[in-house]
Amino acid sequence: MHIVACFKVVPDDQDITINSDDTLNYSKARPIVSTYDLNAIEGAAQFVSCSCSGSDLSALTVGASEIDDSKMKKNVLSRGPEALYMVADDSLAAADAYQTARALAAALAKIGPFDLVVCGDGSADVYAQQVGIQLGEMLGLPNVNAVRSLALEGDVLVVERGLEDEVETLALTLPAVISVTSDVALPRICSMKEILAAGKKPVTIWGTADLAIEVPAATLEVKDIKAPKPAPRKKEMFDDSDAGIADFAKSISQVLR
Amino acid sequence: MKIFVLAERDKAIRKLCAGARRLADQVELVVLNERQITPGVADKTWVVPVPADSMAEDALDTIQALLASEKPDMLFVEPTRRMKLMTGRLAARLGTSVVTDVLTIEDAGVSAMYFGGIAHRHVEAVGALAILAIGPGVFGDAVASGTDAVVTLDYVAPAKPITRRSVTAIENSGVDLTAAKRVVGAGRGIAAEEDLAMVRDFAAAVGAELGCTRPLVEAEHWLPRELYIGVSGLMLSPDVYIAVGISGQTQHTVGIDRSGTVIAINKDKNAPIFNQADYGLVADLYKALPKLIEQFK
Amino acid sequence: MAEDRFDAIIVGAGIAGCVAAYKLATEGLAVLVIERGNYAGAKNMTGGRIYAHSLEKVIPGFADEAPVERKITHEKISLMTSDSNFTVDFTADALGVAGQDSYSVLRGVFDQWLAEKAEKAGAEFIYGIRVDDLIVRDGRVGGVIAGEDELEAEITILADGVNSLLGQKLGLVTEPPAHQIAVGAKELIRLSPEMIEDRFQCNPGEGAAWLFAGDATHGRIGGGFLYTNEDTISLGVVATLSDLVKGDKPIYQMLEELMNHPAIRPLVKGGTLVEYSGHLVPEGGYGMLPRLYGDGVLVVGDAAMLCINLGYCVRGMDFAVSSGDFAAETVIEARKAEDNSAATLKMYEEKLANSYVLEDLKTFARFPHFMESTPRIFNEYPEMIKKMMLEMFVVDGTPAAPIRKRMMPAIKEVGLLTLARDGWKGVGAL
Repeated sequence: MHIVACFKVVPDDQDITINSDDTLNYSKARPIVSTYDLNAIEGAAQFVSCSCSGSDLSALTVGASEIDDSKMKKNVLSRGPEALYMVADDSLAAADAYQTARALAAALAKIGPFDLVVCGDGSADVYAQQVGIQLGEMLGLPNVNAVRSLALEGDVLVVERGLEDEVETLALTLPAVISVTSDVALPRICSMKEILAAGKKPVTIWGTADLAIEVPAATLEVKDIKAPKPAPRKKEMFDDSDAGIADFAKSISQVLR
Repeated sequence: MKIFVLAERDKAIRKLCAGARRLADQVELVVLNERQITPGVADKTWVVPVPADSMAEDALDTIQALLASEKPDMLFVEPTRRMKLMTGRLAARLGTSVVTDVLTIEDAGVSAMYFGGIAHRHVEAVGALAILAIGPGVFGDAVASGTDAVVTLDYVAPAKPITRRSVTAIENSGVDLTAAKRVVGAGRGIAAEEDLAMVRDFAAAVGAELGCTRPLVEAEHWLPRELYIGVSGLMLSPDVYIAVGISGQTQHTVGIDRSGTVIAINKDKNAPIFNQADYGLVADLYKALPKLIEQFK
Repeated sequence: MAEDRFDAIIVGAGIAGCVAAYKLATEGLAVLVIERGNYAGAKNMTGGRIYAHSLEKVIPGFADEAPVERKITHEKISLMTSDSNFTVDFTADALGVAGQDSYSVLRGVFDQWLAEKAEKAGAEFIYGIRVDDLIVRDGRVGGVIAGEDELEAEITILADGVNSLLGQKLGLVTEPPAHQIAVGAKELIRLSPEMIEDRFQCNPGEGAAWLFAGDATHGRIGGGFLYTNEDTISLGVVATLSDLVKGDKPIYQMLEELMNHPAIRPLVKGGTLVEYSGHLVPEGGYGMLPRLYGDGVLVVGDAAMLCINLGYCVRGMDFAVSSGDFAAETVIEARKAEDNSAATLKMYEEKLANSYVLEDLKTFARFPHFMESTPRIFNEYPEMIKKMMLEMFVVDGTPAAPIRKRMMPAIKEVGLLTLARDGWKGVGAL
């Protein structure tokens, strides 16, 4: 079986700062794998090693040219995938869900036949929780989200969906596309051997010109991105002395009245 | 302007219809079974008679045809997992993208959260139909109204349905934190699960409900998902919010910054929460809470 | 080299580790560096300043390409009381001459550059993994262990910092006692480069290094420090652990108070706190040196306690560079001879002994003890200087007595004999 785990590369939001005009400053934010996608990659890796040995796992991502980052690539390849495919092209900068899904579909066509595509629960930046779903629809394959566990039974993929008020068990014929939640697996702590081996695994990098289809126009127009002005707060501070705590209690009791 | 509302649960039905009413003259509701018909919220209610043993998402083909014939300007969607699956597939078919985590709707587009609330993005849908996933809390105290016509559609079954093996309801705690006037949030400053008892005592002493930050749900599994306050959980606006042992990352504070008064207790004077609090106590919660419990009991 | 077997594995991507990796990789050896932080320098901190001479030998002209902050051209040293500060400020062209120059650095940035140099030269790096233990067979170190994972190497270089747990596991290093370890805390405060140049009277690209004794540590052994970086200043306090615990002020509080000292406050006014960090510093000097080598193993940098603090001069990074340099030379020779025994690796210690590294450590061996046994440096002497200076500079209308007469009371308070004895001891230790 051939499994493909899709992930998104985003700037590390811990290092995003705010400019004086409230726009975001990404200059110190390194490209990293979006947090929940690490769970998806791990879920796919565990599925491969437990359920269908002899199968292989590839990782796939699309984005602007800066996603081609050596530390990030090494990180992904330390976590189970045997190969990494990237479509790194500035025309995909800030691609919306529809554009991203189309680019992924085109890349998958180039990679070759697959049995299962695993996507994450939502990216750290937009968190639309949508790309995997759009991708499955575009490919015309069985397609579900909220998957928290998966297992192979013969040639059918049995998945458990964790929904708001219920748990649903479905049987999907393959090939299929699933979007998994972070419950599916905890990202591994990579071993030294895995990290060393990562450097030797194949990485294929394409531009959009290499894909069979054109990336479609944006379906959402982004007008601006601004940090919100926080609600003004009193910011009255108290220390941990007995007097401080007593004053604090007095102030808040007035509010609680 | 005509706005369609697609929702699974009662609260979202009411709130999204109320929100739609603020913006449009024509508000129409789409429900996936007759039980969800709700009077007084929409001008027309379209019922998709999804068979009892089918997945709710199987309503997709029926809904797609409905939208094609009725051509609303906007579709408000409750952001449940099932609705996200269905509208994501719909968006792929229509050549658009669903805007999620919508915060406000203006003439020139909508604003939605970015990086969990670090910023807001203003976006406008390019196509004819804007699909917006909106949490019910966004519309505050908007009031719904409607003339209540009901139409039951002909169900179009999916060509290749997915086999469903089972569906089991889960026990939810039943607590609706969004209705609480006072909430105490517990964060990573709590070292062990047993210590939550002390925080509960404090919450009880000040007449508040207990909520928490994401790590206590996802990493530690000390509290159920419904109590998680933050960007992909609850967005609250209580009168009083007291953050105990919470550092104040944006992903959490977006869930509480519309509170009336914000109070914080943290032993780190540089914790970001203090920038967003009206009253801040820099103290070890293990020392401060017992004293405060005594005071407020 | 067999798959996953290295000529050298280096534990720690600090200055000593990266310099060793750079030299070994340049020579074509298979070398791996394992760093527990997520990037080189993540776990490191300096005041601080690097004396450039030793890195200049390894990477000539490094200051032109490395992300150094400012070339230090003002050397300042102060005796501080709670309400006064006596400073000697020395500046000279000679301070900036290549080969004898020094630069303020920020380790998170600087170490990453050094690691990149090593990586470009062919060294492999693993980040985010802590080496828990060493492979030891018949007393010979054969590689590293992290969790259940093992990697083999002909020679393992311990560059794992001031509290080398691996060195301790091997019995080469003993856990440093509290009087030979200091703890330092600093704040990085952002100011514009122009403000820094104005306030510290230096040209663009140049800066000041400033050490304070006395009130900065509330009379405890240690000192305050201030280094100018490109667009931040590093303001901090270092105090010897054993002495610190005798007092009642924790170090972060000392730092807060230093920031608010009347002599310091105007210098940081308008600045924003960017980062707060802390670190341990080995301060025992020559007397606390561990065993530097064994079968299959070498110890470099802070792990080898190669640091001195002379009050007016603090050095660790230049020693670290040289130790990494000598360790690499030793490994190269040992691999040629295909011999990783202690007898061959002894060459490393010999190189250190024949260089300024151990010579300087020996020369100043008595200084830590002098500081420990002369708390007057941090208490009475700053007070004495303050009183003397007040006598000299204050004009208040009372008839003036000759300077000599005015100054004597302050000196007599300390005691002429004590002053003489301390002076003698101090000069002897330096």
